[in-house]
Formats: sequence, C-alpha cells, structure tokens
Amino acid sequence: MDLAKYRAIFIEEATENFAEMSGALLELEKNPGSTESIDVVFRMAHSIKGMAASLGYDAVTDLAHRMEDRMQVVRAEGSAAPGPELSLLFRGLKALEDMVEVVKTSDDLPSPAPAELLAALSGPRGDVEPREATAAPVMEPPALPRHPQLGPAASEVPALEASQRSVDTPRPPPSVRVHTDTLDRFLSTVGEVILNTSQVRTAAAVYEATKAPDLAEGLDRMDRVVGELQRRALDLRTTPVLRILDPLPRVARELAERSGKRVEVELLGAELELDRSILDRLSDPLVHLLRNAVDHGVETPEARVAAGKSDVGRIVVEARREKDSIRISVSDDGAGVDLGRVKARAIEAGVIHRDLADDLPPEQIAAFIFHPGLSTRDEISEISGRGVGMDAVKASIESLGGSAQVVSDAGRGTVTSLLVPITAAVQRVLLLGLGDEIVALPISKVERVLEMRGDRIERSGSEAFAMVDDELVPVFDLADGLALQPNPGGELVHLVLTEVRGERVALLAERIDGQQQIYVKPVPELLSRKRALAGLTILGDGRPVFLVDLNQTV
Amino acid sequence: MARVLVADDASFMRQMIREIVEAEGHEVVGEASDGDEAVEEFKRLHPDVVTMDIVMPRRSGIDAVKGIMELDSSAKVVMCSALGQETLVQEALAAGALDFIVKPFKPDAVLATLAKVAEKE
Repeated sequence: MDLAKYRAIFIEEATENFAEMSGALLELEKNPGSTESIDVVFRMAHSIKGMAASLGYDAVTDLAHRMEDRMQVVRAEGSAAPGPELSLLFRGLKALEDMVEVVKTSDDLPSPAPAELLAALSGPRGDVEPREATAAPVMEPPALPRHPQLGPAASEVPALEASQRSVDTPRPPPSVRVHTDTLDRFLSTVGEVILNTSQVRTAAAVYEATKAPDLAEGLDRMDRVVGELQRRALDLRTTPVLRILDPLPRVARELAERSGKRVEVELLGAELELDRSILDRLSDPLVHLLRNAVDHGVETPEARVAAGKSDVGRIVVEARREKDSIRISVSDDGAGVDLGRVKARAIEAGVIHRDLADDLPPEQIAAFIFHPGLSTRDEISEISGRGVGMDAVKASIESLGGSAQVVSDAGRGTVTSLLVPITAAVQRVLLLGLGDEIVALPISKVERVLEMRGDRIERSGSEAFAMVDDELVPVFDLADGLALQPNPGGELVHLVLTEVRGERVALLAERIDGQQQIYVKPVPELLSRKRALAGLTILGDGRPVFLVDLNQTV
Repeated sequence: MARVLVADDASFMRQMIREIVEAEGHEVVGEASDGDEAVEEFKRLHPDVVTMDIVMPRRSGIDAVKGIMELDSSAKVVMCSALGQETLVQEALAAGALDFIVKPFKPDAVLATLAKVAEKE
C-alpha cells in the first residue's frame, strides 16, 4: 500500500470533513434539534475514524470514535445540549484538526488528545462543565483552508435522512481536483497566448489584407479561439466567496468565547464568484475585520442587555456585486466606533490638527481607524492586538485595486467594507498617450471620452474645471499626476470622464490611442513601491505600458 | 474474477478497496458515494458483488441494501462496518446482505470474504 498517497487523501478528505462538521456544529448552536446537522457531525466523525484507523493514527481514531459515540447519544436524545456540550464538540473538532495538522506538517504520529477532553466526551451528558475562561489554553482561530474547492463546497450538499430526502435534489456535476500551482501555470500561459496573439496581429499588419487573405482569415479565427480560451480561463480563475467566508462563523465563535461575549454570524452572498488570486488575499483582512467586530464592536452580554439589545451580538458578513466589483462587508450591531476617542487619538498622534478635526464629518473621522498607529483601545486586547492592523488591511486591499470603508452609527453598530474588482488578470483598457508615454486605464472605469477646446477648461489657481453636462467637473492632468512632461495643451484636448472615490472627474490626456484587451502582469518588484502603477502589460509592438491606479494618482 | 461495485462516502476507503481487490485481479466496475448512487449504479452495472459502507449520506447503506434487494433478491452485498456497529451489521444481514468486512481493512480478510460471497449461489 502506498502510504504517502493515502496520507495525502486522508489530509484532504479529513479537511473537508472538518469544514462540514464545523458548519453542522454552528447550525446546532442555532438549532440544537437539527437531525440533519446531528447526522452530519456523526457521519464526519465516523468517516475520519475509519481513515485514521487504516493509517494507524490511533490518537485520531480514538478521539473521532468518542465524538461519534457522543453524537450517537445526541441523536438518541434528539438534540444537542446548547452551551457546554457544543463547546465540548467544538473542542473535539479543534483537537482533531490539530492532529491532522501534525500529520500534514511532520512525519510524527499525532499525540493523544487531552485525557480530560476524552473523558468528557465519553462522560455522562450532564457532566460537562463549562471551562473557566482563565484556565483555558489559548486557542488560535482555525486555519483557513488553503486549497481551493472546485465545484460546490461540500457544506452546500446537506445530507438528508432517507425519509426527508427530496426527490428533486440536483446532483452536482462531477468535478476534478487540480493543484493550484498547475492552474496558476495554466492561466499564466493563457495570458501569454493572449499577449502573443496581439503581437502577431501587430506584426502582420504590415502585410495588406489583400496581399495575404489567408493570413487575415487565420488571424480572425485565432482571435475567436483565443477569445473563447480566455473566457474559459477566466471562469477557472473564479471561485465562490464561500471559500473564505465559510470559516468565519467559527472564528467569531472562538473569539467571542474567549472574551465572554456571544455572537451569531450570518453569511450572505457567499455564492458570488471572485477571481481566486484576489480572493486568497482577502481572507486575512476579513478575519481582521471580524476580530474587530467581535472585540471592539459587539458589547458584553450585560452591556447589550442594559442597552436594550439581545445578549447575542449579530454579525453579518455579506458579499454584494457592484458593477465590476464585489463589496464584502462586515456589519455588527454593537456599540459603534467611539468617534470622540478616534479623534483624540488622531490629534494626539499628529495626524490632524485640533482645529481642523472639529470640522470633519463623522465618516472622515471614522476613516482614521485605517491610519497607521491609531488603535482606539487604550489597551490593545490580546486578540485584536496581534498581527495586522486596519492600516495593513487598507494597504492590502488597495494593492488589489480596491478600497476599504467604515461607517459607524453610535450605539447601533459598525459596517466595515472592502470593495474589490472581480477579475484581475485580463482587462479591456483605454490607452492614453501622454507625450512619449502610453498608459492604460481600465475601460470599466471610463464613463466616456470627450473632445474639447483647450480654452474651454477654466483654471483657477492650480485647479482646473470643465463644464460637462451642465456640471462643473474637476480636471486632472494625468501627465502631471504621473510626473511626466506636463500636457502642452493644444487647440483640442481629450477629457476622459471617470470616477475617483465616488467623485466624477475628467482626466486630461494628449491622445487617445485606442482600446485593447490586455493581460495584466504584476508590476516588477523594483517598481512595486510606485503605488500609482497597478500593473504592467506589453503591447503588440513590445512597448511596456503601465496600468494606472487612479486612487493613487488623482 | 468478480465485477465489484464499491459504495463508500469516503474516497479514501473506495480507493483502498479498489487497490485491494484489483491487486487480486477483480474488476471494480463502479463507485458510489452515497446510498442512492449505490442503488442506481447497481441497477446500471449489475455487478457480481457490492461492497457497501453502512454510514453514508442521503440513504444509509442498510436502506441501500433494501433497495438493491427489491431490484434483485439474489444480489450479493458485503457490508463494510467499523467496530461498534454490530447491531447495524445484524440489521443489514437481515435485510439481505451476505457478509461483512471490518474497517480498517485487512487485504486478506477482504479478499477471503469477497471470494466466499462471489462463489455463493
């Protein structure tokens, strides 16, 4: 028997089992009598037991066996006892996950679970004492799944008792597993094909179509096929947001348990799909927002009851489509951001002058939480104080071409949201000529392009405006913003209407060099600190063109 | 040599059985990952022997045995059980299963049971 092969299958399958078990336990917390969820936890424990026994992981087998037995008792009783019994099951799950992590990262056999946990699982039902918070070992939030689940997530296919089974449950189409590395290499190759196609087309343009009709026809056919290839490749790149939202309810639960709070997490829009490369970089920021919501948003049960709220805090994590972007928001019904304190910290840290601070609208004050070095708590709590701050969240979202916002309502709660583009790799762009340089702007950001006489642009001091649709729109010289030679300003100028941070603006460009589908590569390391540059592509004639990040330019 | 249908919700277990029986020259003609699929695949493939896990989603292994028996009362089903499932094994045998193998699988035991069941009239 090829042990390495079975070990890999075990790790993969157990990890899926854990995710299902976790989802079912969370469901049992809301609905302790859900026979379906009881059944899933039982079945997952059983499945893990069988695999572990085959591989000689006795510690895993023993713990899974006791979890299974416990679930059998729960099934016989008809419901899980909320509170202590569920905590016990969650601890069992966590211990199983840790053991599989040992299998994954070392050649060691996992060591047995704590005797106290094993005894409690096999003990009588009433004998489950809630742990004292002070004695509790520090638990890390569960690791987020690192491998993609192609096809529908397992938790979307609930197990049904034979009697409850609905006949019309559609079976998901068969799926295959592909290593992310393989997929990435494939997608990168597709990008190169797209790039090469446009280079070939440019090179072939020297032959007139009449002289080489076969060439023209061949190129057209190739374009169609490459277009199809590109659409399929884009489909492969997208993954349901569920993949990063799925672990959040449990993370929240563990965080809340440690700080003596109670929270319930609802996930909405998890079926929306997003470019995988973007999705992967969203999960840490999202965990951070969730931590903030649990730590600083949701109040203690006593404080909530005193404020006339339910003792269980409610956090909604929602993904919503907005044009070519997806907004993922984390809303809590807690106390809201303490704006007075944020303002005081901002003044103290020298971010803003006291006199100016008083004139700022609440949303701008709230936005200070994204500023480096401003934490609103006098003492950073053990949980949120670790790792990244909100400034890091903002920076990492902006590097994806997105933005982060916070809206707070004193006493009613806080909504933090991340807006990110759906696809990153292939974009249709407008090429703008600025002197000798060409820069690219995503077409999706362009409202329209106007031609206007230079003298119609009104200047007052260093600012410029133009009348567009009876509206005064600020005009920015892109060349100036990118520190290129300023626009010489001929008789006719081009204005590209776009939106920056919700404001309509017009960009002044010397030439419009057409539209093109480009494959965006990351900006080379050397230039990666130039935040105005969002990406790089090579045109058909071999010239490098940078994709401009307007948020950093205007 | 027998044509075998393997029903188990864990692909780990399916592969393990496949490896064991194929090494002996039997043919695994199909796999099923739940009880419904097991019955459907039985109907489609008419295997000589079915190995049937007890705990499966949608429809348990025991219910799947009943479903298969309704289709063909001479079907040969071997239950795959774990320790502690003795009562369920009894129930499955009563429903028409011919024998059982115990997880973790020992190749010799699996093959011996398979051979015994396949020869039964």
